[in-house]
Amino acid sequence: MTHPEIHQKLTLVFRDLFDDPTLEISDATTAKDVAGWDSIMHVTLIVAVEKAFGISFTTKEVKTLANVGSLIQLIAKRVK
Amino acid sequence: MSFLSFNFALFLGLALLLFHLAPARWRPGLLLGFSYAFYLSWSFIYTVLLAAVTAGVYATALWIEGRRTERGKHAWMAAGVMTLLILLFAFKSADWFFHEFFSPLGRADSNNAALVVVPLGLSYYVFKMVGYILDVYWETLPAQRNFVSLALYGAFFPQIVSGPIQRAQSFFDQIDKIKSPDAGEFVIGLRRILFGLVKKVAIADRLAVLVENVHAKPAGFSSLELLVGAYCYSIELYTDFSAITDIAIGIGLLFGVKGPENFDLPYYSPNIQVFWRRWHMSLTTWLADYLFTPLRMSLRNLGTAGLCLAIFINMVAIGIWHGQTWTFLAFGIVNGIFLVVSVLTLKQRNHFFKGRPRLSRVREFAAPLLTFHLVVLTHIFFRAGTLDSALQYIAGLIPGWERSAIPALRLDLWSLGISAPALLLCAGAFLASEAVTWAMRRQFWIDWFRATPVLFRRALYYALIAAVLLLFQGTGTFIYAGF
Repeated sequence: MTHPEIHQKLTLVFRDLFDDPTLEISDATTAKDVAGWDSIMHVTLIVAVEKAFGISFTTKEVKTLANVGSLIQLIAKRVK
Repeated sequence: MSFLSFNFALFLGLALLLFHLAPARWRPGLLLGFSYAFYLSWSFIYTVLLAAVTAGVYATALWIEGRRTERGKHAWMAAGVMTLLILLFAFKSADWFFHEFFSPLGRADSNNAALVVVPLGLSYYVFKMVGYILDVYWETLPAQRNFVSLALYGAFFPQIVSGPIQRAQSFFDQIDKIKSPDAGEFVIGLRRILFGLVKKVAIADRLAVLVENVHAKPAGFSSLELLVGAYCYSIELYTDFSAITDIAIGIGLLFGVKGPENFDLPYYSPNIQVFWRRWHMSLTTWLADYLFTPLRMSLRNLGTAGLCLAIFINMVAIGIWHGQTWTFLAFGIVNGIFLVVSVLTLKQRNHFFKGRPRLSRVREFAAPLLTFHLVVLTHIFFRAGTLDSALQYIAGLIPGWERSAIPALRLDLWSLGISAPALLLCAGAFLASEAVTWAMRRQFWIDWFRATPVLFRRALYYALIAAVLLLFQGTGTFIYAGF
């Protein structure tokens, strides 16, 4: 999958999870930029991403995520 | 040596003088010396323990980094974290253990508690060190080569009594600032200390008498008086804890270290999740990163049940972190229930209010009010001496629940142990301190304050110092210094 394809699919996951059909995300987006993205929602988001892309992450990988860009990079590594 | 003692004032003055006179490159080492001197004033043997823990953690982090295989790294990480947690648990539960299992059999009496004194700030420095080891294991932070930096991180005296729990990365990033502290931050630090002192003596200590009275004998008070007592305790706890945090952050700034914030106007939270994001933030974010996230990840295959379990374990951990007592356990369980219900229903609640603008407006002020009352309820467990007295207190809050000759709506301030002017002063001071906290986070008001005449600012500072001296009742302890 290409970066834009992952971005597009990820946007849909975010919109569904945070219940906001107009939500836009960029590589620089962090938890602070999205209303409701707290520590509880963080792993729920990771689970939703794993389900949507049919992949699995380790705790160590989840802990090193800095923003949406690094999440996209991690997804790209897994879906290859 | 309490922060509110003459000895500490003397110690701090001397430390500041020597620190700022010393060459820049000596300052971190000097600050480490002051931190150990501060700890040594409390106990020699536990100072040795602190040094031993630091040395062990220093070596463990280097070993984790040095292993080539994931298995080797994991083994050293697990050994380090488990050792620290066993140490914490052993000390924290010793008192409970003696009382629960030995006292009724007559093998020991209550004096046994004195045999096992929990090392000062154990929870705080253990949590700092566990976080550091996990950061190195997760490779979000390189192992610290400089032993002085790691030892200073663990023993930093402004933070060791009751936090805030600063992250290793944030502390190590400021080592250079310790060498050349900013003059502007020094002034901000002094202001912050003064703010904390005012909150402690003008609000927390004043309300402490009233709270002590109602919790000592809940049956002797009306429902209304118990309600006032419950409100007052929540305000006392918040102002006392935020006061020691202000003082700790302020003292840190005098030495060039900015500590993390612990509070963000928690009593105006729209739901219990937001409350826990704004209350004791350095602990809750620590637990979110090092306990909740790994737990939630490992339980994610259980779906919603895994989410509920992870939240519940996290909240129970927060409860018993304060002490291994039934009341703290109940505090954790009640918070766990509130949080699980809130998380599971939040989406539906938001949907319900989305199409109802009038109700949404009511929700804007009703939701923080409801959240505040849920928090006040949990604080009854937090403050009560026993589970029985907590339940008795809650039953007393409901008019007519228990037979009593006291009218439910009686409000006898004399029996509560506070005068009407003192209560009004507390209420006024609390609202003012919240307004200041709110304004301190907004650049407009910071600039406004800076633009005020120097004479006005000086008059304000002197008036507040005078108020602290006049209102100081000799209380040297803080609630959170006990945890």
